[in-house]
Formats: sequence, C-alpha cells, structure tokens
Amino acid sequence: MSLLAQLTINGIIAGSIYALVAAGFSLIYGTNKFMHFAHGASVAVSGYFLFTLFKILGVNFYFSILITLFFSGLFGFLLYRGVYLPLQKKNASNVILLVASIAVLIFFENLIQVLFGADVKSVGFFEIKEGINLFGGSITEVQIFIFGVSLFFLISLNFFMKKTKLGKSMRAVADNKELASIWGINPRRIADYSFILGSFLAGIAGILIGIEQGLSPGMGTILIIKGFTGAIIGGIASVPAAVLGSYVLGFAENFGVALLPSGYKDAIGFLILFLFLLFKPEGLFGIRKGVKDV
Amino acid sequence: MFEAYILNLLILIGIYIILGVSLNLVLGFTGLINLGHIALFGIGAYTSALLAGIGLPFFVAFFAAGLISGLFGFALIFATRKLKGDYFALATLGFAFVTYSLMLNLQELTRGPLGIAGISKPSIFGLALTNNISYFVFVYLVVVLTVIAIYSIVKSPFGKLLHAARNDEIGLRVLGKNTNKIKFKVMAVSGFFAGIAGSLFAHYISFIDPSSFYITEIILILSIVIVGGIASIQGTIAGTILIFLIPEILRFFDLPSGVLGASRQIIYAVILIGILLYKPRGLFGRIDLE
Repeated sequence: MSLLAQLTINGIIAGSIYALVAAGFSLIYGTNKFMHFAHGASVAVSGYFLFTLFKILGVNFYFSILITLFFSGLFGFLLYRGVYLPLQKKNASNVILLVASIAVLIFFENLIQVLFGADVKSVGFFEIKEGINLFGGSITEVQIFIFGVSLFFLISLNFFMKKTKLGKSMRAVADNKELASIWGINPRRIADYSFILGSFLAGIAGILIGIEQGLSPGMGTILIIKGFTGAIIGGIASVPAAVLGSYVLGFAENFGVALLPSGYKDAIGFLILFLFLLFKPEGLFGIRKGVKDV
Repeated sequence: MFEAYILNLLILIGIYIILGVSLNLVLGFTGLINLGHIALFGIGAYTSALLAGIGLPFFVAFFAAGLISGLFGFALIFATRKLKGDYFALATLGFAFVTYSLMLNLQELTRGPLGIAGISKPSIFGLALTNNISYFVFVYLVVVLTVIAIYSIVKSPFGKLLHAARNDEIGLRVLGKNTNKIKFKVMAVSGFFAGIAGSLFAHYISFIDPSSFYITEIILILSIVIVGGIASIQGTIAGTILIFLIPEILRFFDLPSGVLGASRQIIYAVILIGILLYKPRGLFGRIDLE
C-alpha cells in the first residue's frame, strides 16, 4: 500500500467535510461580519437529529435525511433570530456575539451529552466494506459517497452564489452592506437566508459524519475549529477561498500525522490557525480587510 | 460532612476569585478578550505539580507557577499584539487548545491523559497545610493579596492607562504612549495570578489531568467575569460566589457524575447568554463589553 496515496485520500475526505463546514461559516461571516462559532452546534445537532429519527424512531432513512436538512436550516434561522439578532439590536459588538456563540456551542455540546451520553453513536446506514484499491491507497464506498456529496453541494453553492438573484444579493451584502441596501436589498432578509443556507450545509456535514465516523458530543467544537481554520487559511470573507483552505487543512493534518504522533492531529489544525492568524490573517486566497488594527 | 462540603466550596470559590479577577484585569479593565486564560491556569497547575513532584519546596513551585504562566501570558500577547477584537479572541482560543494538546501528548513530562496524581499538600516554613481548614486560610490569604494587588493596579496611574487603552487606543498613541507595552505588562501580571491560582488548584485537588483545562472550561471563568460585571472587582467576587452556588441546586437531584458536569456547563451557558441579552453590564459592571 502506498503511504502517499493513502495520505492524499485521507486528506481529501477530511477536507471534504471541513469544506462543507467552512463554506457555511464563511457564507454567514460574509453577510453578517461576525463569527458564528455556534455553527459547530448546527453540525452536531443535525447529526444527532438524524440519529434520533433513523436509529431511535425508525423513520425511513431517506425521509429522515430530508427532515434533518430542513431542520438544520431552521436551527440556524432560530439561532440568528433568537440569539444574534436581539444582541445586534442592542448594538452588541462582534466580541459579544462571539462570546454568545461560544456559549451556545457549549450549551448544545453539553445538552447532547446529557441526552445521548458521551459515547460515540453511529447512524450506520451503509455497511462499511473493505476499501477499494486506488493508486495503491484504500478508499471505502462511503468515503467516495462523502466526497461526491460534498463536491456536488459545493459546486451547487458556487453556482447559486454566482447565478441566482438571491446569491448575488448575498454577495452584494457581503461586499458592501450600505450600498446593497440602497439598491433595495434588505440586509436582514439576506442574513436570514445566509443562516438558513449556511446551517443547511452544516447539516449535510453532520449527516456525512454520522454515516461514516460516528457522532460524539464534542464534535461540534472540533469541527467549527476545523471549518474556521480552513476558512482562515483560504480567506474568511470568500466562500470558494474558505473551501480551498479546508482542503489545504485536510492535507496538512493528514500529512502532519505521518511526521508527528497521531495525538497531535487536532493540534496541527490549531497550530496552523494560530500561525495564519498571526502572519497571514487575510488567508492564502483572500483579501486583507479589517483583520488587523490600524 | 456538611462542614467539609462548605469548606470545599469555599476553597474552590477562593481559587476562582483569583482566576476571575486576573481575567477581569485583561478582559474588563483592558478590553482584551483572552480566551486562553484557562491555559495559563493549567500551565500554572502543571508547573507547580511537576516542581513539587521533584521535591522542590511548595513556595518555590508556587511562585514558579506564577512566573511561568506570566511568561506565557506575555508570549501570547506579544505574538498576537496586532490582532483586533474577535481575531485576538480566537487566536487565544487556539493557544488554549495547543496547550491542552501538549498536556495530553507530552507524555514524558505530563503523563498525558493519566494526569498527575498524589500532588503533595503544601508546607509553608515547616507548617504543613494538611487539613482543609489550614488550606482554606492560606487560599484566602492569597485571595486578599491578589485582590489588593489588582485593585491597586487598576486605581494607579497605570490603571488609568489601561482604561484609556480600552476606550481609545489610537488617542493614547497620539499622546505618545506605547499601548503595546501596556498590554504586555497587563497580560504578564494576569498570567502570574492565573498561574498561582493553578498552583493552589493543583495542590488542593492533588490530582490534575488535561481535561480540567480543556477549552470549553473557559465558559466558567467567562461567566464569572461577565455575570459579575466587566471591570468590577467586587462584581467578579460576587460573580464567583453566584456561579458556584447556582449549580449546587443540581445536588438535590441524584445525577450521575457525567451528567452532573454537563448540566453545570449548560447552566453556565444559559446564564452567560441570558446576561448578554438582558443585563449586559452584569451585576456590578459600569461599562459594556466591547
């Protein structure tokens, strides 16, 4: 088995999940200009929602997925309307919104632990078969499925942002809120849609993780940090840049583990995050805007 | 039994008052949202436990914990000095996670997930603090000294500079003050007190492992500071007492220990969100968090 091929495959699969999280996070950041750290909660809650429907209540798998996707969008919408919008109406700064979003993340992480326990839960619809040989590396059918689904939604997202009226409005608000509202775009409506769409993408990530790796209460915190790191590596204000950055992170982690003990896998992401924040906060493909003081 | 329970609660409250006021010094008085404070606490705990473990006297371990954490506080702000607001906050969160990960993985030094057990009870000039009453007296001695120290810092001319750095950093620079230097000093001081709080914690619990210093534990200290009120020392003291007493209600329900810890965090998160939404200045705060 070729190590290089295997690490590349692992990097792509990890990157596919991070990219979905980062795309939603970056979409919300772009239109709202604050860091929705509770985006990790959207991923975790969606995964556990699917688990409850399919595994506990025995609902049909495809129908469960449909309801879960609807739920994840609604969840994001409710977070925006229930927590962020009231705070924004009181002129809360970005830092307060960040603190509130961390509190929301920790709230759901612990709620999940109380309701479902600390052990790993698997949705387990697909049988995990032995991997297929690909350039000397091994890849399972579920992993190919994950890559395909992720790629499909990321391409659709790109199409949506570039070609549809709503997508263009979102980009307009992200670029210049005042100017967009002069042209008759309602920024609050756009904020609603960005939370719904971003959380929908988080829901897909949650479902894919539930199918392949299994769910655990702390997954939201870890994933938002991965998604956020991917977004920072690429450039937080641009969705395609955030997606590319996530793949970079997926590769960096998997190749890094080949050099360092595997316990450092999550720390590699953080270290990269830290270094990027310090030396290249605008990201590899992004623009330098409002990151540093003076 | 009941006495032991109250004493235990009071000792923990004392340790967290030190941790809370030291965070408030940077978060409230200076306006730096340092989410890495939990890591500075952990670094202090590990430093003290390891030094006491190789047979150094408690006082040496105690002060070394403060100094090492202070040094890390300085290094953290030095590295992140150019980042603003939310970016600074997330960089400090990254620092906290890397620290946690090192505690977990540098097994030769920290024994990794097994943690360090059997940390000695302190002995000061031959006086051993073996029971909880003497430890309680010692902790509150440190609490009083810490509160006096931080109070004098914020009331001093330097404290006025902190206030000015938070409200109008550019204005202060125009006056020829080096605002970075101010931030360096304040983070080092804050780190020092977080470190000695860590030392007190390690020698009290007598067992530490990385999970006590995981990033989500920051919610407890954040709640203490924000509930008490930004830039208010008496607020932080009241906040600590309140934040420690409220979850005690859970003891009336017979919860398994895994659920108990999670339920506590749920309570902190709800309190924190509630305060931000409905009483953003907390109990005693005079200014808003920015």
